[in-house]
Amino acid sequence: MIRRGTATDGLGILRFKNGFQIKISNLVAGLGLAMAAVLLAVYSLQIGLTKTGISDFLAIFVGAELSDAKVYALIDVRLPRILVGFMVGWAVALSGAVLQSLARNPLADPGLFGFSQGSMIMIMLLLIVVPLAPKSLVALAAVAGGLCVAGLLLWLVGGGRSSGLAIVLMGIAVETVLSSFGTLLILYLPPETSLALSEWLAGSLFQANWSLIAAFLPLFFLSLAGILIAGRALPAYDLGNEMAMALGEPVARSQPMLLLFAVVLSAAAVTAVGPLMFLGILAPHIAAFLSPATGRARLVLSGLTGGILVVAADTLTRGVAVGLPMPLGLSLTIIGVPLFIIALRLQALRKFQSH
Amino acid sequence: MRHLVFSFIAAMLVTGPVWADERLVSDDTGREVLVPRQPDRVVVMHEPLLGLPLMDLGIEITGSYGRADDGSFVIAVDFIDTVLGEGRPKPRGFGPFGQPDLEKLRALEPDLIVATELDAGKLDQLATVAPVYLQNVSSAKVHGIEIQDDLAALVGLTEVFNSRKATYLERVSSLRETLPANSAGLTYLPVFLTDQLNVVGDASGMVQALEDLGFIRLNVDDTSKLAAGGGSMMLMPLSAEAFGRLNPDLLVLLNSYTEDDRGETGTRAKLDRIVPGWQQFMKPNLENRILFVDPAKVITPTLASANHMLDAFESWTLKSR
Repeated sequence: MIRRGTATDGLGILRFKNGFQIKISNLVAGLGLAMAAVLLAVYSLQIGLTKTGISDFLAIFVGAELSDAKVYALIDVRLPRILVGFMVGWAVALSGAVLQSLARNPLADPGLFGFSQGSMIMIMLLLIVVPLAPKSLVALAAVAGGLCVAGLLLWLVGGGRSSGLAIVLMGIAVETVLSSFGTLLILYLPPETSLALSEWLAGSLFQANWSLIAAFLPLFFLSLAGILIAGRALPAYDLGNEMAMALGEPVARSQPMLLLFAVVLSAAAVTAVGPLMFLGILAPHIAAFLSPATGRARLVLSGLTGGILVVAADTLTRGVAVGLPMPLGLSLTIIGVPLFIIALRLQALRKFQSH
Repeated sequence: MRHLVFSFIAAMLVTGPVWADERLVSDDTGREVLVPRQPDRVVVMHEPLLGLPLMDLGIEITGSYGRADDGSFVIAVDFIDTVLGEGRPKPRGFGPFGQPDLEKLRALEPDLIVATELDAGKLDQLATVAPVYLQNVSSAKVHGIEIQDDLAALVGLTEVFNSRKATYLERVSSLRETLPANSAGLTYLPVFLTDQLNVVGDASGMVQALEDLGFIRLNVDDTSKLAAGGGSMMLMPLSAEAFGRLNPDLLVLLNSYTEDDRGETGTRAKLDRIVPGWQQFMKPNLENRILFVDPAKVITPTLASANHMLDAFESWTLKSR
């Protein structure tokens, strides 16, 4: 059924009968990250004004009577924040990992390509014109904004014939223009509208509730299917477009599809909590430090890391920084950047020692 | 069957008093909300624009977004102290700006949450705690102390509001009679000094008082176009160059809340830094047509702020004679 073997790089590998194979180091890293996510969720369930936590949460399933305050804290506030935070982090990290392979650039993420800004600006324009726009319309605006930027980017770089570097450079140009326009909007809108938009731009899981989870869940499952499809193609893109074509990858068709996958994931995350800058870079790099992987394993590890980072950032905001105005984007930076620096530093040391 | 009838009667007895204590109102965004007839645990999402008007009518606010857990306010000025006087109990906070804490909000046990139309995005979450009434606060939608008028109707204090407004209008009439010249038709322009110049919006007690005295707002370019987008307190930034050319009959200058000296000396010094030399060429200054007022007293859309403005105007006219 399952055979243990050795990969070409000498690392242990598990081979399944149906041809599926996974490196043992990736499997261990994945299980470790999943365990870390569960432990973090358990800890996060305890954070808040109402004294309650995992024991009360488990008690609900055996029919125990809890006070309304405890049920509200656990079911209406904390659990939705954990679930939405994880799914959003997963989506942004996945989007970043896909874009990094497409662009063959470790700095690529939805923010660098202007996808997040495209979604943001479309949402801002919608909220200026229709302040009470329904959430479904906001989500559509975000996807439309991201897709417009992706379409513009593909058109500017010449579609499937473009190189990764061209996409990155054009992406930076588009992102710069859109960021400037966004700043202009914030600056010249009436103060209250600017303030409301700034709150959203800073990122927050305040909106997390069960209807948002229900809206995000299909996308989350779709991303799992996307990992199966995109994960097979990405190792070829890691070698460059010409090599990918030489290996039989239909670049002209699959590149726009992969871009669309990244845009939809990024737009959904922006709609739910606002833009989470840098997460698309952070998560894949930290995941790569934990276990260097390619293809599907890289996407899964990146997604898990992204999810953990956002839940940890929200826990920091709710637990440690009580009373301090600390938006999600800031706490994410406080947690993620030191980890990022440590990971890069240790990676550099590892390389230095191996030579 | 008999069991069903008893259950129905019991249900009617339980729900009957709730119907009597609540009423269906339509908020400023057109939503229908079931609110208590006389709410006694009100939480506001904007203290100067929503909390102060209610407190001015005698309602003690239970919670206010932006206050800390200990009751201290998020900015340098505590409007409750400056507008209504010191010594009043302060509402409790439920999370810093940008991060309302739903658990803390629920712990305050509000029976009504009053929010601005710009809080519409937070509506779903706030409504899990208590009924939410959205009140317009943007300049394009409300004027003077209309916010207080609206909120008085919401909490069933219209008579209190009308009675206080009648007293205020009597004071306006008597003040108009004492003015050396009829102020009707004269123009005014309120300018708030931060690190730039800002024309102040229409929703404040200051604007109410000035317009009740007969002044008309000076039209600065096309402020009306900008106002259409919103903006309750600050209407639009004003360039130093454009400011220097203006000549309203009454220029009202307000120094930033962050400044300790919000009187004439501090305000003049601040304006010197933004528009150097203005005292030498601006006509309102040369002809002594500038009124320096403390924004912390007059900027809220309340009768109390309107009365503070009348105080400031009265002492200025006495000094000018």
